[in-house]
Amino acid sequence: MIRSRVVLVLFRVAVGGLFIYSGIVKVVDPLGFAQDVRDYRVVGQALSFLAAVVLPWLEIFAGLFLASGLMKRAAAGIVSGLLIFFIVLVAVTMIRGLDVDCGCFGALSRRAGPGLLLEDAAMLSMALCVLFEPRRKPGNG
Amino acid sequence: MSGGEVRTVLRQMAAIAALSVAVAAVFHLPLIKRFARGEFREAFFLPEDFPGIRMIGVLEAEDLWAGGRAVFLDARPEFLFLEGHIPGSRNVPYEMDAARLPEDILALPPERTLVVYCEGGECRSSLDLAKLLHDGGLRDLRVVAGGWDAWKQAGLPEERGR
Repeated sequence: MIRSRVVLVLFRVAVGGLFIYSGIVKVVDPLGFAQDVRDYRVVGQALSFLAAVVLPWLEIFAGLFLASGLMKRAAAGIVSGLLIFFIVLVAVTMIRGLDVDCGCFGALSRRAGPGLLLEDAAMLSMALCVLFEPRRKPGNG
Repeated sequence: MSGGEVRTVLRQMAAIAALSVAVAAVFHLPLIKRFARGEFREAFFLPEDFPGIRMIGVLEAEDLWAGGRAVFLDARPEFLFLEGHIPGSRNVPYEMDAARLPEDILALPPERTLVVYCEGGECRSSLDLAKLLHDGGLRDLRVVAGGWDAWKQAGLPEERGR
């Protein structure tokens, strides 16, 4: 487990920043994102719409809290949960043989594939480091 | 983490989730109202429902336009069309009635490429028009994501009036 404070701050800012960016891109185009969600063929019309409305804001707020350090464990918990969900979703999509645009970063999205799994896994490991960061005693650095 | 810490973290997670739901509900209220009214219930279609419809970016649209390889249809109301549109495009304001589609367009060969666009942002009339045309037998429909806004923002040529 990584204990360096500087590295953990970098992790928080990097993952948090990416989540904020990815959320803003989707907030701007909720219907486009709803179509992306629908393309995964996991949920129907109404849930695609609901997910497209709520999920981007969850990404933004989790990213904001994670990057700022306020309630960082909770934010890291949400980010980890989302990433685990994305990884399972992409893996299942690949096993089903669907050719889907990942819908991660709006127009910058690419295909849901192995590279995407690696990126998600990298972000997940960073988020988990923050989630399980050992509590420091006050004044102990 | 101790049990107490876990509980605190879980409570905070719930708080962040609740905050997100609340902001989403306020921010997207107009959109949620429209959805509740039944708009775009059918909007998020699967490719196999309409195999002939594809979303394209403004660059691909420009490519088709510059090569003169497609018929361009503007799904917006006439007054917006008159204010400015993609040069050479034809105004087919979307109305929910398939019977009002221009017959000469329906008579085009099914493989003819048609590019459909609307205002941009959350506009759906281009997609709806494309679906009607798909039902009418046309099989190469490309909907410009970002619509007229994206075209204008890209600094591409425009035409006014008829």
